[in-house]
Amino acid sequence: MLEIDSLTRRFGDNVAVDNVSFDVPEGHMIGFVGGNGAGKTTTMRMIMGLLARHGGEVRWQGRPITADDIRRFGYMPEERGLYPKQGILDQLVYLARLHDAKPADARTEAMELLERFGLGDRAKDKLESLSLGNQQRVQIAAAVMTQPIALVLDEPFSGLDPKAIDAMADLLRGQSAKGVPVLFSSHQLDLIDRLCDGLVILSNGRVVANGTREQLQHTGRVRHRIVLDGDAGWVRGIPGVVAEDVDGPVAIVEFVEAQAQHRVLEEAVRRGTVRELAELRPSLSEIYREVTA
Amino acid sequence: MSTTTRPETQPTQTPRASGRREAAWPVVATREIVVKMTDKSFIIGTLVSLALIIGMLGVQVWLGQREDTVKVAVTTSQAETFAKEIGTSAQAADKTRRLAVQRVADTAAAEQLLRDEKADVYLSQGDKGWQLTYLKEDNSTLQQTAQQVALGSTLQQTAAKAGLSQGDLAKATTVQSKVLEGSTDKMNLAKAVSFIFAILFFMSALGFGMQIAQSVVEEKQSRIVEILATAIPVRQLLAGKVIGNTVMALGQMVLYTAAGLVGLAFTDYKRFLPAVSGAAGWYLGFFLAGFLALACIWAVAGALSSRQEDLQATTMPLTMGLSIVYILGFMATGAVREIVSFVPIASSVVMPGRLVAGDASWWEAAIALALNLVFAAVTIIIGERLYRRALLQTGGRLSLKQAMALED
Repeated sequence: MLEIDSLTRRFGDNVAVDNVSFDVPEGHMIGFVGGNGAGKTTTMRMIMGLLARHGGEVRWQGRPITADDIRRFGYMPEERGLYPKQGILDQLVYLARLHDAKPADARTEAMELLERFGLGDRAKDKLESLSLGNQQRVQIAAAVMTQPIALVLDEPFSGLDPKAIDAMADLLRGQSAKGVPVLFSSHQLDLIDRLCDGLVILSNGRVVANGTREQLQHTGRVRHRIVLDGDAGWVRGIPGVVAEDVDGPVAIVEFVEAQAQHRVLEEAVRRGTVRELAELRPSLSEIYREVTA
Repeated sequence: MSTTTRPETQPTQTPRASGRREAAWPVVATREIVVKMTDKSFIIGTLVSLALIIGMLGVQVWLGQREDTVKVAVTTSQAETFAKEIGTSAQAADKTRRLAVQRVADTAAAEQLLRDEKADVYLSQGDKGWQLTYLKEDNSTLQQTAQQVALGSTLQQTAAKAGLSQGDLAKATTVQSKVLEGSTDKMNLAKAVSFIFAILFFMSALGFGMQIAQSVVEEKQSRIVEILATAIPVRQLLAGKVIGNTVMALGQMVLYTAAGLVGLAFTDYKRFLPAVSGAAGWYLGFFLAGFLALACIWAVAGALSSRQEDLQATTMPLTMGLSIVYILGFMATGAVREIVSFVPIASSVVMPGRLVAGDASWWEAAIALALNLVFAAVTIIIGERLYRRALLQTGGRLSLKQAMALED
């Protein structure tokens, strides 16, 4: 498990990352969300040991992380980094060699990855001759080569077309199925919703929400939707109920007192039929908007 | 991913053995070398330099072997005999010199030959002795030789009359030169060698130094450095870069030097080959030390930039310094030259020159080389630190002062 514990980083007087803590358990995919300048990249750079920490600690398997651990992580920087003027196969082999792979193994694995991304016939092409989307695929190939023990990916989906997004998602799922903890940042909440076991929302350098979608949906305001067979206007008069919206027989309410739900049900049954009483689960984007507001 | 052929990597609770199975720098160094060896402009540049070295020496060989024939016009048989004696004597002194004698009827015909440029000189016997008539300019070596020959034959005749033997005469009249220290030829050669060493050092240190700086900034600009720095220690990255480029620079220099020495063996200067070879050996040692001393500084210059465009500014102190060394290499004389020959980096070009000239002994060279190596060690230690600190900074160009103030 990768544990991020109270990480802090200042740039001058500006606190870019403020006491950030969260975990990335084995086999979990954690989405890292936040607006521009929220501190995602800074946090990731600190995890990867590229930026000095001004406080806090990163732990791997319960002990402070070492350079040797980080060496076996797969990392994809925010601003993509590969040699523009080198053949893509050659540079993947080079990076794998730096990770201790034998030349022949490195070549086989790199070729397999390129073929998986549909770049098998372009192995000898220079990186700069590829489209941005294809460059991105090579970049992710670089991150997942040589069996990483954890993945830290900064915006792996940005700039990908839907087909490439699916390929990337499959690849990440495969990694996490093998037990690899995956942390990735993204602006695409639908993707995070689709892929992630948990998410961490960062705002102004602080963690404002952290948990599984289920957990997050239960934090904050829980609202209910009631559908009756007559007009629902009367719910406004029940103590402990905040009616958010009433439209004919449909009311959206929040129960602010423990007994309020019971009172509403009793009254509704007394007045007629209750067609529906359901808890309203906020979507991730609603949660996001709420916590970062 | 071939999950079937490779064991699955499961995060494990057991602490892994620290360090890598093998050092990373050879992988980095190999990449530097392969990139350079497949760079067309590098290959072409090396071939052109080799061609220049061989060409320059070839010109020397050609000049040395070209025969220098002086055409002499004469009108009398005595003059013809005398001219032939001069020819023999001139050729004995310098095998490339030759005299071609042509006998014509009279003075008018001889002068016509001069005007038609079919003869270089007209040799005649006048009232005041032998006379050499030229069309425009005087060829004084011919006059000297002629005088010697005239003097010699007169002496011989007189000596024979006086009953003196040829041997006694030779002993009494021969003046031999013996040089205790150096010779003009040798000094000229030393100058030429210093010049060549200086220009080669300048070109190579600048070229490969720039290559190091560019390769650092390429990695910084493309941000691949972030991946590299998480994969291997930054120190290994620097070591690989420096070693790769040093191997290439030294290899190129060995090639140039070997071509130069082999070429020299075909010229008239071949008698200096032992001295020049010795100096060239020292030069390669000095080159290595001088190059190493600068290599990490070049890497720092690269790390201080964040884009290729910044390089000109961050490498300026290095290019300036090298230019000064280059100029000192063949301008400095006397005491200044002696002092400079011990100053690290400058010693790389000046000391080998002094060795060819024979005015420095091996222990002086050894001291200068040792100083150079000590200096290299210092720059490597400081350079590594600055490189490591500046490498991951992304906010534009850094000054040296800012880099020194950075935290690890």
